[in-house]
Amino acid sequence: MAKIGVFLSQHRNSNDTLDRLSKGSFDVVLVQNGVYCAAIKENGQSSPVLGRGTKVYAMSEDLVSRGIEPSQVASNVTVVNFDGLVDLIFNEFTKTIWL
Amino acid sequence: MIKKIAFVVDKMPYKSESSRLTLTHAIASQTVEIHLDDGDNVEPVLAFIGEGVLNCLKNQKASEVYGVTTLESHIKNALLTDIKLLICEEDVKKYGLTEDQIIMDAEDIGADITSELVPFSEIMSAMELADHIVYS
Repeated sequence: MAKIGVFLSQHRNSNDTLDRLSKGSFDVVLVQNGVYCAAIKENGQSSPVLGRGTKVYAMSEDLVSRGIEPSQVASNVTVVNFDGLVDLIFNEFTKTIWL
Repeated sequence: MIKKIAFVVDKMPYKSESSRLTLTHAIASQTVEIHLDDGDNVEPVLAFIGEGVLNCLKNQKASEVYGVTTLESHIKNALLTDIKLLICEEDVKKYGLTEDQIIMDAEDIGADITSELVPFSEIMSAMELADHIVYS
């Protein structure tokens, strides 16, 4: 089933809308400051955004801009570049939302 | 008269211009003497707290990707202009960062001073001692 692409552009540990979305209905795409969720462990804990059982993508350009190498992100995060993101939007997502 | 100004950054880089503008003002404060009367000057201190410590990560490549100057280059320029630069060690630890991931010096561009990882209490003292605070 085609999914919703949920873009997170802020570094937040919770989001009311994200919390209420049906599991399996969406994938998360971390962009801009959202990419900190992929690599920064606050108080030793990975971001809860990564622990939802959904597929999580992070934009490589936004990572390296902020001094984070793709090799530093959590193992359950898939790093994609701009071209990869375009492929995702066209091939995997029927709709996108920006939280 | 010397006016102490504390420039405090607690916002992340790039999403907004907030931290960049604070750094720009801090660096500009080092040249403001030419517009002041004899004997007057500004003594800046620049501090990074909370999410603001993420501005201090090394190896930022925003110039290649976004076509903008990196916050890393602004921080190094602040060190080059001898601005006292404090980074909250509790917040660096909170985000799981280590000293080797943080911009601690700007030797590559000829800066003599280094960043200081300090407890928040020291940054609080700097804010208390300051005549003005620029907080963003």
